[in-house]
Amino acid sequence: MSLTLLAPLPTPDPTLFPGVCEPLEEVGAAEPADAAAAFAFALGRLAGREDIRPVVLVTTGLWLRERGRPFARGLAFWGLGPERLIWIRADKEGEALWALEEALKSGAAAGGLASVEAPPFVATRRLDFAARAGGALGVLLRAGPTGDLSAARRRWRIKAASSSLHQFDPAAPGRVRLQAELVRRRDGPPGAWTLEQDDETGRLGVVAGLAGHGLDATDRQLGTAASAAA
Amino acid sequence: MRPTASSGPQHPPPPDGAPFALIEKGVHGLTLHALNAAARGAGLWRGQAHADACAMLPRLISAPAEQDRDLAALKRLALWAERFSPSVAIDTLMPGFEGLFLDMTGGAHLFGGEAAMLADLRGRLARAGVEAQVAMADTPAAAWALARFSDRAETLAPAGAMREALARLPVEGLRLEAKALALLKKFGLKTIGDLYALPRAGLARRFRGEIGFRVVERLDQALGFSNEALDPERPPPSYRVWTPFAEPVIDMAGVGVHLPGLAEALCGQLSRDGRGARRLRLTGFRVDGRVTLIEAGLSAPAATAAHLIRLLREKGLERLDLGFGIDALMLSAERAEPLEARQARMDEAADLAPPQALAALIDRLQAKLGEPAVRRPAFKESWVPERSEVWAPAGAEPPPAPERDDARLRPILMFEAPEPVQTLAELPDGVPARFIWRRASRRVVKAEGPERLGAEWWTEPASRSERTRDYYRVEDENGRRYWLYREGLYGREDADRSPSWWIAGVFA
Repeated sequence: MSLTLLAPLPTPDPTLFPGVCEPLEEVGAAEPADAAAAFAFALGRLAGREDIRPVVLVTTGLWLRERGRPFARGLAFWGLGPERLIWIRADKEGEALWALEEALKSGAAAGGLASVEAPPFVATRRLDFAARAGGALGVLLRAGPTGDLSAARRRWRIKAASSSLHQFDPAAPGRVRLQAELVRRRDGPPGAWTLEQDDETGRLGVVAGLAGHGLDATDRQLGTAASAAA
Repeated sequence: MRPTASSGPQHPPPPDGAPFALIEKGVHGLTLHALNAAARGAGLWRGQAHADACAMLPRLISAPAEQDRDLAALKRLALWAERFSPSVAIDTLMPGFEGLFLDMTGGAHLFGGEAAMLADLRGRLARAGVEAQVAMADTPAAAWALARFSDRAETLAPAGAMREALARLPVEGLRLEAKALALLKKFGLKTIGDLYALPRAGLARRFRGEIGFRVVERLDQALGFSNEALDPERPPPSYRVWTPFAEPVIDMAGVGVHLPGLAEALCGQLSRDGRGARRLRLTGFRVDGRVTLIEAGLSAPAATAAHLIRLLREKGLERLDLGFGIDALMLSAERAEPLEARQARMDEAADLAPPQALAALIDRLQAKLGEPAVRRPAFKESWVPERSEVWAPAGAEPPPAPERDDARLRPILMFEAPEPVQTLAELPDGVPARFIWRRASRRVVKAEGPERLGAEWWTEPASRSERTRDYYRVEDENGRRYWLYREGLYGREDADRSPSWWIAGVFA
C-alpha cells in the first residue's frame, strides 16, 4: 500500500501557481481578520474542478458566533451553486473531523472543508486516505498560522489584499485580490502569489499583470521569508 | 389486561400482605385512590375517605397517588405489550379500572394459541413484578369485563359465546357511570345476565336522559352487536420483523448478532412491496416489562440491509438500555415510502449509485450529529438579506435555485444578528470614513453603494415598521471587505431616533 503512495511526483516549476488542489490541503489565515479571505480561497480550491457532486462545509460551535453563517447567495459567486452546498454544524472538533472524513470517503461529495483548531496528525492522515478513497478534495481551514505536524500536502497562508481598480468607479472595490503564500509543500519549495478573482468564472488566478513572472518584488521577499521559515 | 395500581419507586414497597393504599386529595378531603389485595380484603374500597379507612384499619399503609406517573407506567407497559400485538391501546375510560387493550386478531397462533398466549402474557408480567388479570374475548367490551370481574386471573371466552360468558358478571362490567349503576341496583338488576331478558326499548326508556341509551349501547358493544373502535397508543408500523430469544440477551454482542438477520428480513418485506424505510426503530423488549428503543431517520427511502444496519450502529446500539436482558428484538419501519427503481450498475465497483450515496451520507451524519446539524440552503424571495435565505435540515433533494442572481454583491459570511459598528463620516448620510467593529478601528479606502434594501410593501405593517436600510460594500486599508448598512434616513424617518450603523456580513 505504501508503495503506491511513494510513486514519484513530477517536480513542478516552483514559480507557477499550483491551481489544482491536492487531496488534502491546509489553509490558514495570516491574521484572524483574514478568515473570510481564507474561507473563500479554500472554497476556490474545492470548486476548482469540473465536478457536480456537493461540497461539504463542516464548522464547529465557535464558527457561527465568531464569523457568521455561510451565505449561499454570495458563495454562488465563488463557483459553488446552492444546490452543491451542505453545511454541517458539529459540536466538537472530533465530530467535525469525523464528519469530514465520512463525507470525503463516501464518494458522494466532490470535496469538503472543516474549520478546526488543532487536528491531531493521525486525523489528518485519515483525512488524506479518505479523500483519495472517495476521489474528493479535503481542505482544513485554520484560524491562525499553522506549524504543527500534518499530512496535508500543501499549506497555505492567506491574506486579504487591496482589490483591483474598478473599471468604471475608482472609489469602488474592484475584483477581489488575495495574497496566497504557500508556506510548505511536499513537492517543491514554497512560494507566494497575488491572486485575483475572475469576474466571470469566479476562479482565482494569478494577477494578469504578473502572469508568467510568478513573483513580484514584494512577494518575492515574502516567498524567501517563508522558505527561510520552512 | 389490568395491572394493579402502581406505586412510585421512591416509596419503599409495603411488606407482602400488608394493607396498602394510595391516597389522593379530593373535594371532601383525602380519599383512597388505589388499594392492594390485602386492603380490599379488609373491606376498604376505592373512593373511601382516608380517615374512615384508618378508623377501620389502623395499620393501613398509605402513600400519595401520582396519577401522571401511573399513566407513564401504563404507557411504558403498552410499548412493551407491542411484543404481542402491533396495536395496543391504553384504556383510561373508567378511573380505577385502567388497563390495556391488545388487538390479537389473527395473531394468537404465533404464541401457540389463545390460552397459551394469555398464560405467556400473564407469566411475563408476573416475572416483571406486575400483577395482572388477563382475558380474551370476541369484543373489547367483553374482554374488559372479564379481565376485571372474572374470578380467574386468566379468562378465555370461547368464540361466539359472549352471552354465556358475561351472564354471571356484575353490571359494573359494562363500564357505566355511577348514576346508571345505582339505578340498575335499585331495580334489582345485579348481573349482566339480568339485562338479557328485558325488552331493549323498555330498557332504554326506563332511565332518564342518555343513561338508558348508554346501558343498551354498552350491552351491544359487549355482545358484539355494535362496533367499538380502539385508539392504539402508536399507529401500528406497516413493516416489522421480530425475533424472540429463548434466553434473555444481556449484552450488545447478542444484539449485534441478531441485527443483520432482522435487517435482511425487513428489507425483504420492504422490497417485496417496492418500498423503502424512511424511519427505523429498533425495539428491545426487556424482561422487566419495559422496552428500550433507538430510532433513526433516513433522508431517502432505502431497503438495503447494510445501510440500515450501519445507520443503527452509527446511532449507537449502546444507547439501548438492556437492563436485566431482553427477550425479544423488533425492527420496524415506522414510515415507508415507495422506492424509486434505479438501474443497477453493470460494473460492481460501486455498490451505491451517487444519489443514493449522498442520501446514505446525509443519513449517517444526521444519525450521529442530529438532524438539525446537517443543512442545505433554502431560499425565500425577500429583499431583506437575512430573511432571504435559511439553512434547513438536509433532505436528499437539492434546493431550488434562487431567482435573483446578485452573487457579486453578496457576502460569503453573514452574521446571525447584525453587529453594531461606530462610524465617523464626513457627510451625515454618506459613506463612513472610519468605523470601529469588534474594538478595532478600520479606515475605509473604497466603498460602493448605497444599495437600498427594505422590507416588501406587501408584508404586514409590524415588520414594515423596520427602517430603510442602505447597504455599502466597503474595503479597508488592509483589503478586507465588509457589508455595512445604515438603518434609517437622516431627518426623514423616525425623527427622534438617529440612524444607526451595522455590519451585516463579510466579503472575501
